[in-house]
Formats: sequence, structure tokens, C-alpha cells
Amino acid sequence: MFLINCPFCGEREQSEFKAGGEAHIVRPKQPTELSDDQWAEYLFMRKNIKGIQFERWNHIHGCRKWFNMVRDTSNDEIKAVYKMGEKPPVK
Amino acid sequence: MLNYSNVIENDKSYPGLQMREIKPVMKLIIRGKKRQFLSAVGKSLNLLLPNEANTSSRSDQLTALWLSPDEWMIFSNEILKSDDNNYDVEKLLNKNICKTNLGAVTDVTDQFVLINLKGDKIFDLFETGSPFNFNDFKSKKGLVTQTILAKIDIIVHNQDINDVNLFVRRSFSDHLFSWMNDSASRL
Repeated sequence: MFLINCPFCGEREQSEFKAGGEAHIVRPKQPTELSDDQWAEYLFMRKNIKGIQFERWNHIHGCRKWFNMVRDTSNDEIKAVYKMGEKPPVK
Repeated sequence: MLNYSNVIENDKSYPGLQMREIKPVMKLIIRGKKRQFLSAVGKSLNLLLPNEANTSSRSDQLTALWLSPDEWMIFSNEILKSDDNNYDVEKLLNKNICKTNLGAVTDVTDQFVLINLKGDKIFDLFETGSPFNFNDFKSKKGLVTQTILAKIDIIVHNQDINDVNLFVRRSFSDHLFSWMNDSASRL
């Protein structure tokens, strides 16, 4: 249980949100030229790190907008929240 | 107006809390992003859409609720004739918004049930089943929020002090109303 600061609605409880997996994964420009392994790598393989992770979240029980979040997975500390299309504020 | 069976049959009253369904009330969802969209809606309805998050605006006939940066709900302040399913406001918006490709208008009159709550125990009731912090919300007239109550999506509009409008999807309304009655009886 933790609070998330939705960039549109303000601070809300985590149960109003849905996690949408890793952020900033770029779709290959020519998918037809990829091998099956490369395509599977893009489609399924995700980092599962302990530490700072960039994630997509959806405020599904509120404004229903997607946004990005930087979260420390070891202690659930939220480092930053930013809108889709914006550059991550911390590295 | 479509002939749905009455979801909420009786008004309910508890110490410090009265609950009743208000119907028929016109409800529309409008969506759009462009600046021309905002001005076209403003001119058509003589009502400025609220730009700030979690707020609402009101004219003599209509109230507009902020739902997300590009989505608003508009509902009529007065109850309408129960035998008519055509709304002048919807026709006007269809003409000025949809036909000009500025945005979308959806009639959700029968999708949402409007429950009006009155009394000083409203937020005591909400706090038994919602993760939202109502502390600042309850003292400011006109605020709007979308949140969860008893795991059901709701829209709450703080119409006046101790006077709250709650919108819930029709299929959930029967269960939510019975849950609210159960919870209110223990306050």
C-alpha cells in the first residue's frame, strides 16, 4: 500500500492504479526483418531488477490516463512521476 | 427515456444521512483536446468547461464535471420529462462538436445512476469503503473525484456542503446501494 502522485489528478492510493510493465521499450522499426529470437526478445523479455526501475502505470479507477513512474523496487520509493512522451527526470 | 426497471426503489434515511436516486437526468460524456473544442462547447452551452483537475462548473441548467484532461461529464440540474429520449443539448453538441470533428459526444443517461446523498454523515459512510482522502474534499464546494467505493468505480461531486452527487454504473448500482445501506446502518 503506497500513495502515487497521478500527474493529472494528484495524490491517490495505489489501489486506484494498475501497473503496466516496463517503460521506454522501443518497437523495432522493421519487425518483418527480425528473427524469431529478436522478436521474442522485444515482445516478452523484461528487466526484473532490484533497484531503480522505469515503469508505466495507468490511473484506471480515476482519470484512466497512462503515465510513467520511476520506482525503487526494493523499497517501493517513488522517485519521480512524469507524463507519457516526456523524458525521465532522473537517470 | 428507456424503460429500465427502477434500480433503487425506495429513498433511504439514517441519522445524518439521506439517500435517493434522482431521475431522469440527462448525462453526457464529451471528449476533445483542441482549444476550438473548448470554445465551441462554451459557446454552445453558455458554460465554460472546468480546466483544472477535480473541479466542476455550473450554469442555470447544466453542470460540467472534470473527469480527465480531455473528458467531461455534463448533466442537467433539473429532472426531465420521463417519456422523452431526445435532448436539445445533445443535438446542439452533435452539430457543433461531432460534425465539425472537434470531439465526441456520448449519451450516458441510462448508463449512469445518479444517487444524491444529504447529511453530515456522507463522508463517514464513504470512509468505510474508499481509499480516497476526503478531508480537504468535503469542505470545498464543487470538487469532483473519481475513485472506488466498495471496489466499485464511482464519480463523486461535492454539490454543496453536506450534499453530494454520486454517479455509478447501472449494473453496479443495485449492489452499491445495498452496500451503502448496510454500511450506513452501522455508522
